Amino acid sequence: MTKIDSERTKVAVPARGKMPSVKRIGGWHAIGPIVIFLAILVVVAILTPAFIGSGGLAIIASSSAPILLLALGQAMVLNVGSIDLSNAAIGLLGAILLALTLGPVAGLSPVIVLLATTAFGAVNGLIVAYAQVPSFALTLGTLGIFQAVALVASGRTTVYVASNGEGVHALYESGIANVPMTFWMGVCLAVFLWVLLRYTRIGRGMTAIGKNESAAIFSAVRTRSLKVLAFALSGFAAGLAGIAIIAQAGSASPTGLGSDLLLPAIAAALIGGTSISGGVVNPLTVIFGALTVALVPIATTAVGIDAQAQSLVYGAVIIGVVALTMSRNKSSIVK
Amino acid sequence: MVHKVLSEQGAGSITTTAIRIRESGIERRARFRGLAEPLSLLVALAVLIGVFSLLNERFLTTSNIQNVLTQSAIPLIVAVGATLVILLGSIDLSVEGVMGATGMTWILLSNNSRGGADLGPWAWVIALGVALLLGIASGLIFTALKVPSFIVTLGMWYVGLGIATMLYGTDLLPRLQDEGLKGWTSRISFGLPNSFWVALLVIGLGILVLRSTRIGRVTLAIGNSETIVRSAGLPAFPVKVAVFAIAAVLSGLGGILATVQLDIGSPTVGSGVLFIVIPAVVIGGTHLAGGKGGILRTVLGVFLLTILNNGLILSGVESSYQSAVTGAILVAAIVFAAWSQRDRLRVAK
Repeated sequence: MTKIDSERTKVAVPARGKMPSVKRIGGWHAIGPIVIFLAILVVVAILTPAFIGSGGLAIIASSSAPILLLALGQAMVLNVGSIDLSNAAIGLLGAILLALTLGPVAGLSPVIVLLATTAFGAVNGLIVAYAQVPSFALTLGTLGIFQAVALVASGRTTVYVASNGEGVHALYESGIANVPMTFWMGVCLAVFLWVLLRYTRIGRGMTAIGKNESAAIFSAVRTRSLKVLAFALSGFAAGLAGIAIIAQAGSASPTGLGSDLLLPAIAAALIGGTSISGGVVNPLTVIFGALTVALVPIATTAVGIDAQAQSLVYGAVIIGVVALTMSRNKSSIVK
Repeated sequence: MVHKVLSEQGAGSITTTAIRIRESGIERRARFRGLAEPLSLLVALAVLIGVFSLLNERFLTTSNIQNVLTQSAIPLIVAVGATLVILLGSIDLSVEGVMGATGMTWILLSNNSRGGADLGPWAWVIALGVALLLGIASGLIFTALKVPSFIVTLGMWYVGLGIATMLYGTDLLPRLQDEGLKGWTSRISFGLPNSFWVALLVIGLGILVLRSTRIGRVTLAIGNSETIVRSAGLPAFPVKVAVFAIAAVLSGLGGILATVQLDIGSPTVGSGVLFIVIPAVVIGGTHLAGGKGGILRTVLGVFLLTILNNGLILSGVESSYQSAVTGAILVAAIVFAAWSQRDRLRVAK
């Protein structure tokens, strides 16, 4: 038996030797999103100095607000090793509900919307956790359901805020450092989630689920309730995104927008250093992920690339940035 | 050590018999489940057809059946490729982008209202070549750079759309001029729409590839356990690239047929196809984790969704509810499939 033990320690030694390189990847993982955002920003600043001078950063920040909010929710779900394809649809439904209810119930309306979207997210989470179905398929299904509800609730047309819209609109009009409150709302949520993930048992448990769910179950982590919570947070963040949409546009259209936000939000979460297989997330770098996603279209025009090539560049950037920031090791299986 | 293990086995012979009995029970149930899933789908299809034919006498007319077959042809072709990718345990989200790029390449190189070169059959070759390149690019980035397929194909979706938009440019809509090709997809030959014949051919080839070629078998093996595939020295990387290439070519073929059906070239010719194809594969019972499932099941899934949508429209249900119906069926199907396997220690991603 002692022989086996000594062999084990021998095997363990090279593994310990590898630790610094893993750490280095972890470091790049943390600063990668910021470096990439700054690099693109520098290119834009050199090519079009006027853009930065005339409050271009504020424009980027304000246009990234809904994407940021959705991306933060998505990052929480990705962190437990699942995915929420329905969150943009929930956000859009939230925006439509807000536009419809602001008139009749005024100040209560945002509260109702946030409660509703959180409940929608929690339902996703309950089915994923208790029926044990793959989250990709489930949220694809609920995406269809929420889309249809949004279409029916709005009567297939753009819904405008009839009255009492001033309070919500002020979120976009007022701001700190020329950047609207909608963006700062996202930053606050990011800080809150960061504290949750770093310093609380709940957040630690969530990350544990993402890293190794079986191990988390055996360690008595309350995996099911934490998964429900992650999806509920995603719904809550989607509700905030809905409020940001109404604050910015004053109206919500049931077609297009939901799917227009879904993929950029996922891209923002991934560019922000979130691992798609779970267990790695930093809400603070997701902010830079969202800013990068908002910056790419502006950067492509600044560099002088045709407007028509924009989505091509966008796709290439998503693949490139994730390939750069992803942590990987040689023997791991990637699906 | 060996001695000890043997004696332990002898002492626990009663438990081993109990385990064997339990194992054979599990095996029997598994066999039943293997049959029960496609059977329950067939029953669901039969019930749907029965209900809709009672609700509307137009449902079971020849023209409507041909209509349903035409509608299902393009999703069927794309779904064969998607099934192969999902059997790997990966996912292909690039479907709509590849359809757009291929369809646009094809129409601009065919006889269209913008003029330009009319390459005839070469247009098909070049357009499918574009799809092949996109597929190989996805496959290589996925295998060589180890970027998860979800992200690679998400990026390729945009890349494909971008190529289509660039080719489209700012000119007028390219309209199909060839009278022989206009409406070719829904024209009937030997009792079935042309596009459905193409779909049947693709399904046949797909089943052949999956069942009796090395690519197909290694695909299933990768879905079950890539570690074992690699340690057995099987070519995991080339097979993955090949599967992504096949899927992209099939998406491209779907894109060309969709362009023929639409009569005009549009970058978004494939919009909405992904939301039929992936639910259809999952409803058919192919596992998203890979390794289990098949093409015929996917065919049943596509039929279920197209018949449902067609029947609901004929019954006068507003089209707003369509996505909810697809979504609800998807949720019901996965919950139904997973219910018997629920276990506190099971991990479902």
